[in-house]
Amino acid sequence: MAVKGLSGEWPRWMTRGTGREARKQGAPISRHTGATEDAASRRVTPVRRPGSLSGQALDGEAYPAQPQWTRGRVAGWLTTVDHKRIGILYILTSLGFFAAGGIIALLMRSQLATPNEHFLTKDSYNGALTIHGTTMVFLVVVPILAGFGNFLVPLMIGARDMAFPRLNALSYWLFLFGGVILYASFFAKHGPARCGWTCYAPLSEIAYSPGHGVDLWILSLHLLTLASLAGAINFLVTIHNLRARGMGWMRLPLFVWTIEIYALLLVLVLPALSAGLTLLLLDRQTGTHFFVPQHGGSAVLWQHVFWFFGHPEVYIMVLPAMGIVSEIIPVFARKPIFGYKAVAFSTVAIAFLSMLVWAHHMFAVGLPWGLNAFFMVSSMAIAVPTGVKIFNWLATTWRGNLIFDPPMLFALGFIALFTMGGLSGIFLAAFPVDWQVTDTYYVVAHLHYVLFGGSMFAIFAGLYYWWPKMFGRLLDGRLGKAHFWLMFVGFNMTFLPQHMLGLMGMERRIYTYREHGLWEWYNLVSSIGSGIMAVGMLVFLANVVVTSRRGVRAGNDPWLADTLEWYTTSPPPAGNFDSLPYITSARPLRDLRRRLQDANAL
Amino acid sequence: MRRKPFVATILLVLVCALALAGAALAGTGGFAPPTPRSPNAQRTNDAYYLILAFTGAIFLLVETALVVFVIRFRSRGRPRTVEGPQIRGHTRLEIIWTAIPVVILAAITGFVFYKLPGIKNVPAANAAGGRIEIGVEAHQFYWQFRYPDGSTSVDELTVPVDRNVHLTLTSPDVAHSWWVPSLGGKIDVIPGRTNHTWFRAQQNGVYRIRCAELCGIQHAVMLGFVRVVPQSDYASFLGARHAKTADLARETYQGVCAKCHGFKGEGGIGPKLAGSAGLNDRTALAKTIRNGIGMMPPVGRTWDSRQLNAVITYLQKHVASSAGGAAGGG
Repeated sequence: MAVKGLSGEWPRWMTRGTGREARKQGAPISRHTGATEDAASRRVTPVRRPGSLSGQALDGEAYPAQPQWTRGRVAGWLTTVDHKRIGILYILTSLGFFAAGGIIALLMRSQLATPNEHFLTKDSYNGALTIHGTTMVFLVVVPILAGFGNFLVPLMIGARDMAFPRLNALSYWLFLFGGVILYASFFAKHGPARCGWTCYAPLSEIAYSPGHGVDLWILSLHLLTLASLAGAINFLVTIHNLRARGMGWMRLPLFVWTIEIYALLLVLVLPALSAGLTLLLLDRQTGTHFFVPQHGGSAVLWQHVFWFFGHPEVYIMVLPAMGIVSEIIPVFARKPIFGYKAVAFSTVAIAFLSMLVWAHHMFAVGLPWGLNAFFMVSSMAIAVPTGVKIFNWLATTWRGNLIFDPPMLFALGFIALFTMGGLSGIFLAAFPVDWQVTDTYYVVAHLHYVLFGGSMFAIFAGLYYWWPKMFGRLLDGRLGKAHFWLMFVGFNMTFLPQHMLGLMGMERRIYTYREHGLWEWYNLVSSIGSGIMAVGMLVFLANVVVTSRRGVRAGNDPWLADTLEWYTTSPPPAGNFDSLPYITSARPLRDLRRRLQDANAL
Repeated sequence: MRRKPFVATILLVLVCALALAGAALAGTGGFAPPTPRSPNAQRTNDAYYLILAFTGAIFLLVETALVVFVIRFRSRGRPRTVEGPQIRGHTRLEIIWTAIPVVILAAITGFVFYKLPGIKNVPAANAAGGRIEIGVEAHQFYWQFRYPDGSTSVDELTVPVDRNVHLTLTSPDVAHSWWVPSLGGKIDVIPGRTNHTWFRAQQNGVYRIRCAELCGIQHAVMLGFVRVVPQSDYASFLGARHAKTADLARETYQGVCAKCHGFKGEGGIGPKLAGSAGLNDRTALAKTIRNGIGMMPPVGRTWDSRQLNAVITYLQKHVASSAGGAAGGG
């Protein structure tokens, strides 16, 4: 039920001290949504205890209390519907899965370090590569970006919470259980799924993948798609309805732009994956033959369905990362983003094109050459808006006052590595060349340059950048720099030689090889590089542990940043803001600083 | 902190030096597809090098700009409050760096389409001696070849040099992908589809066949060879295939059975065969090979009785009596 807001000015509860006081009383964390531009259409939506809300009731003692049992330290987190806590839960859980997926990757690199190794072979290796890929895509990059979105979107647009806080909590718990189920499949009959993260039919059919590994993989992905879908709808509704007064689309932080597009893509393509998974489950459990060619089904259909989801998924994982970079580079270059509109609209262009390129994953299937030609041209086209972004970031650094704090290092690392990943993609888009390099380590290198050197580096940039906002303390700068250089060197050592391996003929997803010479050397360097990255992650972990108690306290705005999340305290109180300025540009905090400066000058 | 950009530069130089050293060491060294030995592979490489030239130039441009800006505009101890010039954009620049990539991509696309017919189209049959039609069946986890005269081979395809070889590929089980890096790109072998590819090997030699699509537990060892031989050797190869089955039996055992049961039947993924009493019953054995049993796929589903009998005889003669188990089945 909705209560009409007070007309004209900000409601009293927003301008008076609600934040910390309310939290001390254990008040529900998300009670209201913020105001929109138009006062007449402003609605204040009660989220908990409908009916108990009025301007008076919210002041002081009359505020409705949470049940006693939800106030405990643990219970508070378990029952939270606060977007900031959910965001942090998302991020920490994803980092946990990142550690798990990373350990699996280290095991695989150990197996491949030398020829004819016997460390992790056959089914164990195939299971490892499946769980590694599924983890990194579905349990790390997508949800950690959802975590950033959860924490930041309401703060950046000046809202008090997400539009549907309880739906938000549901998303998180579905995600967590989806992940737990995936890892529980290690204990299933015949072990986990072993068909790769793409689980191509008919290999994933019951005849070739007996046991329950694939069934649990399907269940896990079903839960994760539901989580993402609910989250995406929540983001869309929040961004469309809860922006602060004055925040038009051209004043929206670029990260929020990318979350908007991320959510839109999820809503458009996740149903395809869900449908495909359901058909596969029916094949496996009820004897239908959707993907069984021997009984009239089509193996290629699965590939179409999977990649119709799967390629936009790549941009789902990359666009918000680009949004993070677009937030960080201007702040650490002390300049506005170069070409705000170009950066925002190139996001839209990439998202649109990303729905038209899926069959470039299927060039070797033997599709009619006209289809291949279409998907080649559309894939090439996507390089144009991507290039626009890279050039705009570079132009942003031009003549800036570049400050190399860890967020900036990782953001610049993103540009360096993502450029490499983007350019190697052009080889894959040209389908005759793709016939040589597809399904080899060249593709493995390419996708890691995009998703690890790209998305994960941006995610680390974001972690260093917003950590003080989330926890009130800065991460240590020197450890952060050590982390960056270990990751940067380790990353290139791991994945640069994989391009060469692929071109020399090393196919993907093999647990062993017999070749010596350069093959052996490249593989060994690659494995050593993965170890260096592992050390880098330990440095990051040490940084988190050390600074959790002794870190420098961050003020509201340690970086002198541009966007609204730095207007409130670190960490922000329940309800986020006491009051908000009218937004007059895409950089409201810089506007405020300048106004203050002018006032002081007088 | 100020030295970091230089560290990056040094690293970049080091990586380049390593790369060049690698390239010098061994042919293409992995910086291009393997030396092509077939016209279609040659044309693919042409396209590769064209794309490499363009993307290499863009790569150098972007990374150099990045490094130069990082060095040139580093803070040098200026306080955070010092702002750079508040430049919000430049429409003409934006148009330029949108248009130039469009032109480059159009050039790449045009060149690829120009090369495409020579890559995908099987040359007409009027080339010297016509073309050789080979049927390829991809199985878990072996390749079976059917020659124009009806004889078969497993994991080893023997073809004459300088003849167009046209492959028709099918799979009775899961998706595989045919790949001989020196003789052209991949083509997936997908159940329910019939795919085609071709090559014309220009040099005698042995070329590795790889399965490039994850096809199950032994995907990594689904390897084979293309043996390119002079025309006369090809004829005598086919003659020998007709005359006796011993080679086929050995190939079949090593390509099909040994990958799971070990080269001496000592067992591995599958149970130990050496000394197994089950090998004595020809009928039961034939049934198992044709239909599979338990985790064992129906490996012999598409074999003719000649091949089936040959491998059963081989099993009884060489494997049943083998001591087995002593040596690892490398």
